[in-house]
Amino acid sequence: MSLRSLMFGWEYPPLHLGGLGVACQGLVQGLIKNGVQITLVLPHPVPTESEDLAILSPTEKHVERIRVQSMLSPYEGSEGYAMRTVRMSKELQQIYGADLPEAVAHFTAMSVDMTQDTNPDIVHCHDWMTYGAGMAAARYHDKPLVTHIHATELDRTHFHPNEWIYRMERKGFQAADRIIAVSNYTKNLLTEHYGIPAQKISVVHNAIQPITAQDREPPIQAISSAPKPPMVLFLGRLTIQKGPIQFLEMAAAVHRFRPDVTFVIAGEGNMMAEVINRACAMGLQDCILFTGKVANREADKLYSQAACFVMPSLSEPFGLVALEAMAHGTPVIISKQSGASEVVRHGFAIDFWDTEKMADCVLTILREQPLAQQLRSEAPRSLQHLTWMKQASQVRSIYQSLLS
Amino acid sequence: MPLICLYFQVHQPYRLRDIRITEIGQGKPEYFDAEKNRAIFRKVAEKCYLPANALIEELLRTYPNFSVAYSLSGVFLEQCKEYGPDVLSSFQRLAQTGKVEFLAETYYHSLSSLKSLEEFTEQVHIHAQRIEELFGQRPTVFRNTELIYSNELSQIARLMGFRGILAEGADHLLNGRSPNVPFTPPTFTLPKEIGRVIHQQRQGGKTPEQITVLLKNYRLSDDVAFRFSDRSWVGFPLTSDRFTDWLVQSGGHSINLFMDYETFGEHQWEDTGIFSFLRSLPELWEKRGIRAATPSQVIDLWKEEETPVYDAHHAISWADMERDLSAWQENAIQRSALESLFSLEKAVKERGDSNLLDLWRLLQTSDHFYYMCTKYWSDGDVHKYFSPYDSPYEAYRRFSHALCDLKQRLETPKEKKPARGLLSLLNLTFKQKS
Repeated sequence: MSLRSLMFGWEYPPLHLGGLGVACQGLVQGLIKNGVQITLVLPHPVPTESEDLAILSPTEKHVERIRVQSMLSPYEGSEGYAMRTVRMSKELQQIYGADLPEAVAHFTAMSVDMTQDTNPDIVHCHDWMTYGAGMAAARYHDKPLVTHIHATELDRTHFHPNEWIYRMERKGFQAADRIIAVSNYTKNLLTEHYGIPAQKISVVHNAIQPITAQDREPPIQAISSAPKPPMVLFLGRLTIQKGPIQFLEMAAAVHRFRPDVTFVIAGEGNMMAEVINRACAMGLQDCILFTGKVANREADKLYSQAACFVMPSLSEPFGLVALEAMAHGTPVIISKQSGASEVVRHGFAIDFWDTEKMADCVLTILREQPLAQQLRSEAPRSLQHLTWMKQASQVRSIYQSLLS
Repeated sequence: MPLICLYFQVHQPYRLRDIRITEIGQGKPEYFDAEKNRAIFRKVAEKCYLPANALIEELLRTYPNFSVAYSLSGVFLEQCKEYGPDVLSSFQRLAQTGKVEFLAETYYHSLSSLKSLEEFTEQVHIHAQRIEELFGQRPTVFRNTELIYSNELSQIARLMGFRGILAEGADHLLNGRSPNVPFTPPTFTLPKEIGRVIHQQRQGGKTPEQITVLLKNYRLSDDVAFRFSDRSWVGFPLTSDRFTDWLVQSGGHSINLFMDYETFGEHQWEDTGIFSFLRSLPELWEKRGIRAATPSQVIDLWKEEETPVYDAHHAISWADMERDLSAWQENAIQRSALESLFSLEKAVKERGDSNLLDLWRLLQTSDHFYYMCTKYWSDGDVHKYFSPYDSPYEAYRRFSHALCDLKQRLETPKEKKPARGLLSLLNLTFKQKS
């Protein structure tokens, strides 16, 4: 039986490292391989520039892309949106609306208009911004609705949500015939904080694209032959959710024992200035490097050079970056408050607040060669079973269960 | 009718504390989690040791043909001293029935047989002495940690004076033969060096000509130990009648049922009916003319001319599906941990500090290495179930910190004896006075 899924998503292909874009791409490709036909509806602020047909590969022939004019982009709350609209011309602001609720309403209405002619079996939407569109489309087509949750407002704000976004999410969960959560961690959060019955939620963990030989960047050639000091890596947005301050606390504890260790903080975000100030106040200015936002290849290089990767997120629905680090053979220390800790067997999972213990794990990895080597060799191997093909087949069977 | 040989393993490790790198070399950090160890010991005592011992005592006193064997690890006995004198005295009451055989093992439930013959023989010796002190009998049958066994080990045990040894009835070594008869290891001569080391630990007495190997019937043992409460198992629910039928059908000289004592009440909870199952067996056996026998009695009652050979060229054990050493020595961190530990043997022994020697030996307990096992995807789940730590890597982290600290303590110069300090002080005062 051929299944047609009408999917409301974000960027395609992904612009960000880790996160929603990558997960959506992996899932879409996996579903196509599982024989599901997909119509993917994407919001995009500059439609003409991104209508790049060359990105489509022949194997993705099932993906029809409908771009909807919208100001929205992932991971922004109303604050970020306000900043963006200020920069727009008055005329555009009128089209898209000056506040977030209006923009979402617009996106929702247009999305339905544009998918009128599609004939889906199921409607599937990803994260809160698409839930309105998904609900409207499901109603219009009279088909089951799947809402996929990659990150909740509670994760992003450390449980200080924007009420409007929280309500949008809750509405989407309530309207859904089935919710797909990226982890049991997220499933529990939905039952505890959104009052959603557990039996309505299926968990499908994210997968990881296999690392090809070219992705394994050889470390930059050392100029001197002296051994390079070990480097500990943070990679993610500098927002409260990702725990950059916890990373600093961990770094300070490591620094007291091993002043030779360097730390790299890769990524940007609204906490950048605060993090830099705190690092200096802690006396870490000479051993921390801030790279700003990094591109894929730069990230690959950083993973390959790191002695270990630390993901101290306060609340992480999944945490694909941790798996990406593992795929590069980098030992990982991740927050227990994460979905990734459900699938990461070869690594350390520590409570995000226990930065002393995180530091202890880093120091142990640096001191114990057999441990570092085993993590380097076992971790990538343990990821081999976590493929998008397999995870998408779970999604397909969820579709089927809703249709039968 | 075959004899029924029941042997129960009783052991509790000292689990490691969440040691931090900041404590290493700073005075004398505690390596073990006293609170957790006490809590677990008491929990198991209430659920298993005390009720099971009371039941076994009653059965031993009621049924003349009922007997059992125990092997109590030295670290278990140590914990009895700290956390459970009531448990120890209940075992002593069992010993007083005269129908219980106590087996020998390494005192620290260690993997020393894999690494150091000298250390191994010392630990077996310490254990045998302790058993004799506590229970008034010198063990004559040996069981190695986790039933780790090989031809060489068997001969070593014989040279140490043991007449019997227990081993797993591994399919690949049995080759279709029944495990229900006594076996013997192939005869060969051990290198002179081995004989010399063993001789240093010998307590006199004659070296037995032969050593008898009793093999665990793992199918029937595991029916009780692992499958008893498994509702998806075809044998569920297991009644004493049906189980006795299976024992009789299995035939042979003796059915050797070897299992962890914690099976009763801890692995299989009381509400599974495991205690009533155990209670009903001896009565039923009495009725059907079946006798229980201890390992020594099984050996005594074997009168056949020919004893088949059990050829364990490579080490086997009773752990996991593999029945080899992989539960403790499969991955790099396990091997490195054991290697580093034993690289300290010479330094520890030359130091002559009994406290450091004891710490070093407590780190040899096999459980520390078992917790580091990463064979997750199949039966590794068993490891996870039994592990007190978050992960194998956490087990290694704690272990390596303890080892680092021990290493540093071995490197620091010996503390001067306080008596001498006092003396020199007195000397000084004396000089000043004069």
